[in-house]
Amino acid sequence: MRISWNWLSEWVDLSPIKGPSDLAELLIRRGLEVEQVESLGRGFEKVITAQILERAPHPQADRLSVCSVTLGSGEPLQIVCGAQNMKAGDKVALAQVGASLPNGVKIGESKIRGVLSFGMLCSEQELKLKDTSEGILILPPETQLGLPLADFLGKNDIILHLKVTANRGDCLSHLGIAREVAAALGQKLKKSEPQALQEGNCPVSIHLEAGDLAPQFFGCWIEGVKIGASPDWLVRKLEAIGLRSINNVVDISNWVMLELGHPVHAYDGDEIRGRSVSVRPARKGEELPLLDQKTIQLTGSELVISDAERAIGLAGVMGGGNSEVQLSTHNLFLECAEFDPKLVRQAAGKYQRKTDAAHRFERGIDPADLGHVMSRFASEVVRLAGGRIVGSQWVRGASRAGVAFQRSEIVLGLHEVHDFLGFERDQAPLTLNQVEAYWKGLNCQVVREPGHWRLRPPTYRWDLNIKEDLAEEIARTVGYDQIPATIPPLSSVPTLAVSAISQVTLMDRVKDALVNLGFQESLNYAFTSRDNLERVGLKSSVRLINPLSEEFEWMVPSLLSGLIRNAQENWNHHFGSESLPIRLFELRPVFSAAGPIESSGRMNTGVQESWKLAWAMSGPRMAGGLRADQAGVDFYDLKAVAESLFAELGTRGVRMIPFSASRTGGNPLFHPGKSAEVLAGNAVAGHFGLLHPAISRELKIKGELYLAELDWAQLLKLSRGAFQVPVFKSWSQFPGMERDFALVVKSDVTVDKICQAALKAGKPLIKEAKVFDIYRGSQVAEGMTSIAVRVIFYDETRSIQESEAEAFSSKILDAWKKEFGAELRG
Amino acid sequence: MIEKLSAIGGRALEEIEKTSSFESLDQIRVSLLGKKGSLNEVLKGLSGINPEERPVIGAAANEWKRKIEAALEVRKSSLEKVHLEQQLQKEKLDISAPARLAHRGSLHLVTQTVRRMMQIFGRLGFDVTLGPEAETDYLNFEAVNIPADHPARDMQDTFFLGPGVVLRTHTSGVQMRSMLAQKWPVRVLCPGAVYRCDHDATHSPMFHQVEGLWVDKNVRMSDLKGVLQFWARELFGSDTQIRLRPSYFPFVEPGAEVDVSCFRCRVKASDDCKICKGTGWLEVLGAGMVHPRLFEMAGYSGDTEGLSGFAFGIGVERIAMLLHEVPDLRLLFQGDVRFLSQF
Repeated sequence: MRISWNWLSEWVDLSPIKGPSDLAELLIRRGLEVEQVESLGRGFEKVITAQILERAPHPQADRLSVCSVTLGSGEPLQIVCGAQNMKAGDKVALAQVGASLPNGVKIGESKIRGVLSFGMLCSEQELKLKDTSEGILILPPETQLGLPLADFLGKNDIILHLKVTANRGDCLSHLGIAREVAAALGQKLKKSEPQALQEGNCPVSIHLEAGDLAPQFFGCWIEGVKIGASPDWLVRKLEAIGLRSINNVVDISNWVMLELGHPVHAYDGDEIRGRSVSVRPARKGEELPLLDQKTIQLTGSELVISDAERAIGLAGVMGGGNSEVQLSTHNLFLECAEFDPKLVRQAAGKYQRKTDAAHRFERGIDPADLGHVMSRFASEVVRLAGGRIVGSQWVRGASRAGVAFQRSEIVLGLHEVHDFLGFERDQAPLTLNQVEAYWKGLNCQVVREPGHWRLRPPTYRWDLNIKEDLAEEIARTVGYDQIPATIPPLSSVPTLAVSAISQVTLMDRVKDALVNLGFQESLNYAFTSRDNLERVGLKSSVRLINPLSEEFEWMVPSLLSGLIRNAQENWNHHFGSESLPIRLFELRPVFSAAGPIESSGRMNTGVQESWKLAWAMSGPRMAGGLRADQAGVDFYDLKAVAESLFAELGTRGVRMIPFSASRTGGNPLFHPGKSAEVLAGNAVAGHFGLLHPAISRELKIKGELYLAELDWAQLLKLSRGAFQVPVFKSWSQFPGMERDFALVVKSDVTVDKICQAALKAGKPLIKEAKVFDIYRGSQVAEGMTSIAVRVIFYDETRSIQESEAEAFSSKILDAWKKEFGAELRG
Repeated sequence: MIEKLSAIGGRALEEIEKTSSFESLDQIRVSLLGKKGSLNEVLKGLSGINPEERPVIGAAANEWKRKIEAALEVRKSSLEKVHLEQQLQKEKLDISAPARLAHRGSLHLVTQTVRRMMQIFGRLGFDVTLGPEAETDYLNFEAVNIPADHPARDMQDTFFLGPGVVLRTHTSGVQMRSMLAQKWPVRVLCPGAVYRCDHDATHSPMFHQVEGLWVDKNVRMSDLKGVLQFWARELFGSDTQIRLRPSYFPFVEPGAEVDVSCFRCRVKASDDCKICKGTGWLEVLGAGMVHPRLFEMAGYSGDTEGLSGFAFGIGVERIAMLLHEVPDLRLLFQGDVRFLSQF
């Protein structure tokens, strides 16, 4: 909202305020955000009204003239001018030496083709009054000389651009801001609002048919007006705060609203059929042509202003086109009413008409000001558009009838404000008398009784309802900077029913582990395009109803689409012959819905959120080194990361199986033979492996991209937990013994089976069986694999005898032979 | 005989001293001490000597043998030393060649910043909790005093997933869940992703917040100020000041926008300060005293006299961008390793 310094000065004495930035500071300290301070006269300093005394041709240049110009007093100035549209006697705008024009031109004393010039005669373009202009600005003959041009144009004003918070409907006017300034300065307003308009003799009957949704309506009939242009001062007044002049009556209604904060409306009286106006719920399907030339079809939930036959306005939002004030209008029906804020908001939202009126009604107008607002409206109409007030009527529903409307009382203890804000009781800067004075300055009715106050906020302050609201009034009057800083005590042993500290600790630990393994954490938006998902074979079941664009439409069902895209984009900007190392991870929820997405109860959304831990790797195994160190990562590097994380989390019982052994058949995002399914108990906890070559080809990925995505909750189920610490285990004091075997088995025998068989057959002496080499090739028969296995025996209580090791070795070998037909390699 | 021994021995010691290779040292050893070595030759001649002199000469011969052996040993070890030196002279690495470097990982700036803040607030006694990102309209808005058709809804442009289901616009719903789960005292931080329909260099449709809530008997606005001051000093430096400006958020009353003094130009408000643009202050968070309506919504009843609290909400990206001088918010969400690897 824009507030004019000059306009504000009509209501409050601004002389104690040094300048615009001080006023802005004062408002900011009171919670009114000032976004911009605009000086309308910027660039008009040293631009003065003047008159051309003589115009002579320039001796050296045909296109130039040499003018003698007077400011009304003092020596005339010699000015060289290139324009052709002026003559001696014309009144003009002279930019004196030292002026710096709105278009950025700085005026200095200059010599133009040998003739001195002491300023410049300005065009409207140079003054940024118009986009283009021909010749210089010629002012009306009656223009007084020697005036600052800014004064002459009404540009000697400062405009403050305010951002008023949604709770302060009372600050959406010059009066409202004036009240705030007055309260801050400890002043009274310079003028009081006019007496309420006398009622009676209204030729239009007014009916309230919507109960509390439209609790009051003030109507006034004026006869014999002449619709025309507004006087210049009104045009300039509205222009200064960014409003275009329409005609005198419409301008007055805007003026009244911007000054007093209450939207008003004028109807062409002769268009009101049946001389009857009612506020009623709209009829379903009813049509209403609006002022902006468009017709809306009403649904029945809106309120309309209606004559005897039809709707003539959408209550609180916009007037009807069928009753618009036009040049031919003779009689006026004026409206000043109160409507339900929510209803106005709904209607303005539904029909996309966030008008200035709706903005104010939504935030609450002063329900007690209808009388004087109408008085002001009607009298200005008569003053500027002529005519006479025939009669008026103020109709009030039950909630606004009887005694003058007032707000309910708030009772609060004498020290509650101090205690709540953290001030010492009844001491500077807050004595009880000061507190009371601050409230009174805000027009609260205050009664002090033993131990407490009874307070009644002014009718326009809808934001004051509870003690805390009153405390805030004190806080912002005394200044938030005056509030001390303290640290609250821990009143009891900290406990939190919903603490996530264990979960967060494990997340931190896993993230740190990944960072130590060389991974960078990526964060992708939780929504993406359908395309992005489809190209990697994914489908989302959760869609945004109002996405910013298709790019952000579907909630991700997997983190992998994001990581794959990250990898691609990194490859895209990568150059050179080296392959780019990709080590990315993300730990975030993914989204799905099995049924409809709607709230049930207060906590349930129908959306399933599961946290996933995903990572992507590609490119050289090491970050630096020579060619030999730059070998690309493979499946076993990926698997190493998984195992490191399992160790970090202290998970027990995680199994990895090939897709061929999976109940679900694995995951189509991955290469079926170079990937693993992770099982936590019997539940699938995720997959890792090589990106499926078909997808890779489709995405034009040249290298190998290894991916993993694990379900965080499943992992946590098997985790030791964040705070379950490992306990000490002693190790054997006696050396163990190891035996190596080179086996030849069929290639479909997996090494984990060989190890498991050894561990089983070698009990209890065997402690470890590990594969340390795998060979397929010309040295072994087709379809066979040579596997080198090392088994380690030891006993915690004694040394192992050679003969025992031999005996167990042959047991193990027998088992291998029996189970896999394994032979020792010759 | 003695003289002869001395001559052989003395000469041998000289030769040993001059020897510069293992081969010649070995030759000397053989020529003196071998079966046919000159020392042995001398000893063989003992048979023709007066038996009384034999022990004397034998002892002298053995003495010379011992001396020579020792000298040989000394010379050998010194030759070995020289030899090793020579060897090492040849074994030079080019230490400027590239290291076999492991990849260096990094936490996302958002994670780093959230962690720092949780550490700071954790020292004051805050616990932490998490909540869903798809939230009910009820918990995101209604329960925190933003009823339907309230103008305050304009403050947060909301993404909807279904009837009554939104992507949370703040983590205040999580605060509410904490209060629904237990009575006061509640001292909790709620970090997490939040969503609003906005996208440019300073607004992201998804961003992160750390919200804090402290509810107990007799919590004062000065407590809010003290806690935020502590936070600001820990995060931005010990001479950081904070400034509270009155503002409005429906879930708090009084409400405040909180600025911290520019950590770069220290309120000198120099016009060319890139960080604060010459204002000396940085707007970093919103805060206030918990609106009593929230206690009602949480079902708090009984002995609620004097129950109060404060809450604050900090935009994580904003803080991260300020601290690390990141010019464009979108950089945080692009997974670009040129960006990620810097922090």
